[in-house]
Amino acid sequence: MLPADCSRRLVAELQGALDACAQRQLQLEQSLRICRRLLQAWEPTGTWAWEPPPEPETNEEDPLPACTPSPQDLKDLEFLTQALEKAVRVRRGITKTGERNKAPSLKPGSLVTSPGMTASTPPQSPGQAGGHASDTRPTKGLRQTTVPAKGRPERRLPSVLDRTRVGIGVRAPRPGAGLRNQLMAPSAAPQAPEAFTLKEKGHLLRLPAAFRKAASQNLSLWVQLSSMQTSDSMDAAAAKTQFLQNMQTASGGSQPRLSAAEVEAEARRLRKACSLLRLRVREELSAAPVDWMQEYRCLLTLEGLQAMVGQCLQRLQELRAAVAEQPPLPCPVGRPPRASLSCGGGAEPTWSPQLLVYSSTQELQTLAALKLQVAMLDQQIHLEKVLLEEEMGVQQRSAALRRSG
Amino acid sequence: MRGRRVDPAAGARAGALPEAIAALSRSLPSGPSPEIFRRAKFDRPDATSALWQLLFRVLSPLPAGSALASIALEVQARLVKSALCSQGYPRLALAQLPEDGSQGSRELLLALSWLLARGPVPEQMVAQTRVPLGDEMTVCQCEALASLGPPAPHMETEGPVDVRHVQWLMGKLRFRWRQLVSSQQEQCALLSKIHLYTRGCHSDQSLGHLSVTEAEMLRDPEGGQQVSGAGAAQNLDLAYPKGLHFSCTPGMGPRTFWNDLWLVCQQPGLLPGDWAAPLDPGGASACSLLFPLRVLLRTLEHENRRLEAVLAWRRAELVFWQWMDTVLGTCAPEAPAAASQPTFLPWVPECGDGELELVVRELRTLEEELREAAERRRVAWEAKARGCGRGPEWSAARRACRETVEKELGALQRCWEQDRSPAQAHGPHRLVRREDGAAGDRDLRAAELIRTLRSQEACLEAMLRQLQGQCRQELARLAGALPGLIWIPPPGR
Repeated sequence: MLPADCSRRLVAELQGALDACAQRQLQLEQSLRICRRLLQAWEPTGTWAWEPPPEPETNEEDPLPACTPSPQDLKDLEFLTQALEKAVRVRRGITKTGERNKAPSLKPGSLVTSPGMTASTPPQSPGQAGGHASDTRPTKGLRQTTVPAKGRPERRLPSVLDRTRVGIGVRAPRPGAGLRNQLMAPSAAPQAPEAFTLKEKGHLLRLPAAFRKAASQNLSLWVQLSSMQTSDSMDAAAAKTQFLQNMQTASGGSQPRLSAAEVEAEARRLRKACSLLRLRVREELSAAPVDWMQEYRCLLTLEGLQAMVGQCLQRLQELRAAVAEQPPLPCPVGRPPRASLSCGGGAEPTWSPQLLVYSSTQELQTLAALKLQVAMLDQQIHLEKVLLEEEMGVQQRSAALRRSG
Repeated sequence: MRGRRVDPAAGARAGALPEAIAALSRSLPSGPSPEIFRRAKFDRPDATSALWQLLFRVLSPLPAGSALASIALEVQARLVKSALCSQGYPRLALAQLPEDGSQGSRELLLALSWLLARGPVPEQMVAQTRVPLGDEMTVCQCEALASLGPPAPHMETEGPVDVRHVQWLMGKLRFRWRQLVSSQQEQCALLSKIHLYTRGCHSDQSLGHLSVTEAEMLRDPEGGQQVSGAGAAQNLDLAYPKGLHFSCTPGMGPRTFWNDLWLVCQQPGLLPGDWAAPLDPGGASACSLLFPLRVLLRTLEHENRRLEAVLAWRRAELVFWQWMDTVLGTCAPEAPAAASQPTFLPWVPECGDGELELVVRELRTLEEELREAAERRRVAWEAKARGCGRGPEWSAARRACRETVEKELGALQRCWEQDRSPAQAHGPHRLVRREDGAAGDRDLRAAELIRTLRSQEACLEAMLRQLQGQCRQELARLAGALPGLIWIPPPGR
């Protein structure tokens, strides 16, 4: 057995690693549930329907817990119901005449204005791609129960329905179904409403206008921020540098003390140096020179590498001496954030959103698997290092014991 | 010599400074009012606690939640001091400030400005709480394995630890990794399908298809059907809150943060009651459920306002720096670093030294090896060279050799001298599926990333093998030195 205090740290590290894995697993599973549900048939979510009165046409299956609406809600409900009935009438008219373009003609003004919502843009916004645009734009999602709401700006819907939980679906499944089928396949005869699956009808979805607007504004702001960063004002940058210098001199030290973070960074560099040097040495030693020129090259390289190793050792000694003599500004107990070996660390993050393009499921899976593999190797290396350090610690202690004993 | 062109017009505008400060405070999460800043310049005590809290928010690695807000001011103050020191904050006055928020607002203002001068703090803060609309994957491995929450309560095991226990833990870890891999593969397949089925939907042509977040929002705009437990924004890495992607620049790492918090709270009398309960960053407070449309919209709008504030701040910040210089001027210069350390969280002198020791040993071994090999070859070479003729082309050839070698070794040295790997992009990227795999200049291609990862993998494997060899050597040495020590090495991989 290893001495107790030696392996305790290893055990602690292993526990930490196990916990991290478990947490990742949990999150992955959550994510999986969401994805699986998305790929199944989309059920009517049930938030749209109260406990409906017996309605043979309704396909609602999940009853909601009853909720008592407030007087305000009831008033809203009434408005809504009236508007919906009107909508249904209009739609019926449309279905008969087959004129689809009237569908978005419901004026927003006739609807309940919900407080706190931004004013809507008219549904007809130009520049929509795709033939389905004018029809599916008012659609937030192709679902049975949202049908009566199609004529209105989508933003209103959540706030009103959120409060009232109206049994809209009760009213108009049939014309809704008819309209929906019409939106998707204009020439097809009205069919029995089908469940919505991503596979078949996913390409018909459209994002709501408010969302699109907010998202594109978001994107453009990030891009602006990014371009501002790269062309940073000279004045501001100079002012900042000057300020930092002033801070340094005002605190009485012209030489900034080594911070724990800097020590860690230097140590990381030297570790990287060590591994790179070692790799190179292996290469050179295993190479078999065929002519004098190669031999000379090899010799020079080895001697050069020797000099570099010497330099690194010297820097390390200097670092350790500096640390010992003037302890770096106290670092938080517990290790400083352990930057992974493969990551350079400290690079400038770019703010504008970037894309990662893949072309097939296979590629994505390979990518993800490799990422996990690299992370796992990183972790294993860390554990080996912990073990090694502990072993060396044991050696030192036993050597000290022998000396004193 | 000041070295900057002061724009007289900018400084003369009366409202410029308050505007700049207002923009700054709007861009920071729960930023204090400009009045607080003004009071801090005059070192008023009532501005102190707001600044402690702001510094804490800026320095802590986790996004805000009710969890963090419930931490007492003293604890926040201690952690702030600790974090600033570990980043090399030069002024000692900070360390000596009382932690009850009774004084020191000017010093805190200086500390905040120091942080602002060193890095893009407002941008980082917004990025921390960024709304990920797409399915994201990070490219780099920063903080990849950082634990997410408080460390499990340390069970101080008494007595020797059985090596079989260690082996069992290692086996368990391997199993969990395998589980992760297979779950991950399944998720990739599903994600790919969702992307495929929704192509042609997105208003943004460059994206082309919906992400899971967007699709889920369409499926269930009310958020009525929730997955049990807290829902997480779609992130393929799922290893850490998105804020950490940007913590490559100095900040407290999460593990450090939690360790510190644990230690600080163990001091008697610091926190009343049980602190463990409200601190649950893995739960709902950290990752908010984003799918309901109204929540998503609200969060997006909020972020947009913050971004506008950051842009305004960047345009106006020169005035702020001029003002900060005057604030600094009102402080008395400090004496050079005193010999005594201010009392802090206990500092472990061997912090990081164990690893340095490792590197020293490796380098020494390498040095020995090289010395032997180089000497041998030098001798052999000299013998050979004596036999050959000496002519101008001979020496020219030798010089050419020397130059080549110098160049190569110089390039090698640059590999580790340069702290940054510019080729490596950082931060999360939105996954986009395109049949042809075409990508713009700024975008990454999966194929290239795969190549990079493969080479990284090879590198790491070599390193691991070497370390395992070293471990075995050390163990052998140990076994020899300490009779009676038996070690069954874990099965090699």
